Parts: sequence; C-alpha cells; structure tokens
Amino acid sequence: MMDPIHPWLDPIEVRRLAEGLMRPNRETATPFSDAGFDDDFVGFATDAVPPPPAVAPPALAATVPPEPTPAPVVAEPAIEPEDPAPDMVARGPFLDRIIRFRDWMHAQFGATGVFILDREGAVIFDESKHGRLHFLARSLALASRRQRNATGNVHVKITAGSTLEVIPVDTAYGCLVLGAVVPEALNQNSVAAVMEALSKIASPPEGNG
Amino acid sequence: MISIAVSSQKGGVGKTTVSINLAHSFALAGVRTLLVDADPQGSVGLSLTRQSRLLAGFYDYLADPGIPLERLIVPTRLETFSLVASGQASDYEAGGAGMGAHLARVRGFLRSVASHGFDLCLIDTAAGLFGITGDVIASSDAILIPQQAEPLGIRSVPKLLEGLNRLRVMNPRLSVLGVCLTMVQNELAESTEAASALRQLLPMEMVFRTQIPRDGLFVRASARGLPIGVLEDGVGAQAVFDALRSEIEAKLDPTSARG
Repeated sequence: MMDPIHPWLDPIEVRRLAEGLMRPNRETATPFSDAGFDDDFVGFATDAVPPPPAVAPPALAATVPPEPTPAPVVAEPAIEPEDPAPDMVARGPFLDRIIRFRDWMHAQFGATGVFILDREGAVIFDESKHGRLHFLARSLALASRRQRNATGNVHVKITAGSTLEVIPVDTAYGCLVLGAVVPEALNQNSVAAVMEALSKIASPPEGNG
Repeated sequence: MISIAVSSQKGGVGKTTVSINLAHSFALAGVRTLLVDADPQGSVGLSLTRQSRLLAGFYDYLADPGIPLERLIVPTRLETFSLVASGQASDYEAGGAGMGAHLARVRGFLRSVASHGFDLCLIDTAAGLFGITGDVIASSDAILIPQQAEPLGIRSVPKLLEGLNRLRVMNPRLSVLGVCLTMVQNELAESTEAASALRQLLPMEMVFRTQIPRDGLFVRASARGLPIGVLEDGVGAQAVFDALRSEIEAKLDPTSARG
C-alpha cells in the first residue's frame, strides 16, 4: 500500500524544525525584549498576499518577472557618500558597491536605514543606527528559511511609519541578510529587484576580479 | 498566571473539545481557570452557554478599549472555572485584520486576566497560525497543538512547524508543549498508522503520550452544553483529559501553574 505520509513531506526537514521548537530559546537571554520590538511596535506589516502574511511564498518570489526597467544598480555612476559611517565593516571596492546599493535603496524605496548581515549574524555593512534590529532580522531570516533551501522575504512593521524589510539573498559570498527600514513593505517586484541588485553587488567584479 | 493557546494549522481537529475538557480538568484540580473563546465561530460558547450569541466577549474586548474584562467573564457552577465567549464583534469573522494588528490588545487582555487572579488562561483559537490567532500565540506562554490522527492532518505538519518557528521569533518565550493526537480511531488502520507516523516523525517529547479518541460521548456532551466529565458515563473520557493535564503540568512549572 502506498505510504500515505512520507511522500508528502521531508522527514529530515520536519525533524529539524521540530527539534528547533523543542529547544529552550536561548535568545530569550538577550536584552532584546520581544525579539527587538519596543514600545513603538504597532504590529506586523500586512499586504495583499494571502495569509500567513509575514512571509512571501518563495515560489512566488522566484517567478516574479523582472521590473520593466531593470534597476541600474551596478551600472549607475558611483555616488560618493558624503560621510561614510565610521562603523562600516566592508572595505575597498566592495564597500563602494554597497554604498551605491544603499543609495539606490534610498532613492528607490525611501530606505532610511540599510544593513547587511552574513548568515551567522556578523555585520557586513551597517550605515544605520538600527543595531538592535540585527537580532530580529537574523532571526526572521532564519525562521523564514523554507524547505529545499529556498528563501523568503519577511517584513515587520516596527513603528507607525516604518517597516523593517528582511530579505535573505544567496550571493557569491553565501547567503546575506539584508535589513532595510522602509516607509512601507516592499511588493514582490521590488523585493525581486532588491534581491537581484544585492546579488550583483555581492559578486566579484568582472574583468579585474 | 500561565496562558496556553490551543491552536492548529488545520481546522476541525478537535481544538474546542480539547480546550473545554482540558480547562475543565484543570479547574477540577483546583486551578483557577479562564477558558477564552478566540475562535470567531464561537465554538466554546456555543458548546457551553445557550446565551453565547448574546454575550460580549473576546472580540468585543479587542474592538472596544472601554470594555472591562469583568463584564466578559461568565462564571460556571464550578467556582474555579470561568469562560469568556467569542463575542459579538463580527468584523473578524471573515479573517479580520492582519497579524499583529491586535497584539497590544491581546497582551493587555492577558495582563487583565492575570490581574483578576486566574492561574491559567486557556485560549481556544481559530484554525491557522495567522491573523488574530497569530497575535494570541505571539502573546501566550505556551501552545498546545491538537492534531487529528489522519493522513491529511499529518501532511500539514511541515506548514505547522514553519509557522510555529516564525511565531517563536516574535515570541521567544513561547513554550511548545507539544502535539496532542485527537480523533484517534483504534479500529481504523489509517488512523492508527497516521498516529504512529506522527510519533516517528516528531521528537518523542513533542508528542503527548495521551491521545484523544473519537467518541460519541463528545457529541453528547456538546449537545447538552457540558464538559464530558460532567456526563454520568463520562468518567473514562475525563480520565483521558486528566492524563493530558498531568503531562502538561509536568512540562510547565507546577508552582507557576497554580499561582
């Protein structure tokens, strides 16, 4: 008789998720109450995506067609930052590319804060004063990790006028987690454009390596 | 006080039956228990109080900051057992607002319950892990997950676990008490095989040893508006929920559970 259960699920992934849930959450020992939310928190962002609303279906994100006008992130002339934040971790040409990306995020989406973490939570870039959001962003990114290594974006409304958009992006340097404080949640086309842009800037430059 | 959300990914798995009878078991054991109907369908109220459609309840509290909790609490013949019905606010019946929209109100509700001297607040939620149910879980101390012992139910487990992992980010202190198999039919191979498959699939500590059988007594109890343990022939069924309560107490800090 056909197995009525196992063809429908991945037992190893299920086990991993379940064991994670049964472990005491070590993060509760961190000073971040409510995983980084504070008194300004007014609720999770909502959008037209069917519930559960906090996580975009990865299949949908993967099939979103590109923007009619591709985001000119890499080709765009460099805009020198007036005064790069002193605590930036990235250096050299990579920093230049990230700064261009940050400026593009500001211009396209009104992002008031952009940071990039690696999968372990180490800060790759942070121009913002949103250090307390790093833990939240990383946790959301890990929690949104779906089966078969697909990823999904997550957004939470952190104040009445700002939303933290968290977008895990697979790049040549591994999976990076982008956090951006934006006025409102990004739609799927915008998320796709951001993913593509970050993936490009986090690739070794062509020609001179 | 400890708050426990009784929630599931799928509907029709026996959440309300578990909620009512488990709450009754805690109350019989002397735990001052408030059973809250957070399902817009109002199943707890419809099961236990004839006038439930007239009562203000949980959703009215969310909608109207001016309603005090004491106006919502419905006492029962058992001094330690009280109810809050679903309520009259109907805006939520079609799914209502998005998740997080009522987080602050739900947390305020639970603080108010604690201040009224209850030891345990058991919340019967609507199916799914989003919307107001998500807010309830993101505000509760623990979650109990009834899971119907049949193949379709087991196939929904990955989605359930993903949802819980997400909610646990929002509520890091959330304790996952575990999955309780419901509607188990020992005479039906598909049912026992599904139960067995779930036990193999999940860590042992995540699945309660106690499982709830499918039993006509539940229908009779519901028809009479009573917890099953109140029926003259409900002693055996009550023992099942007492066993489930004992397992939960062992997982919780018993001193906290009893205030």
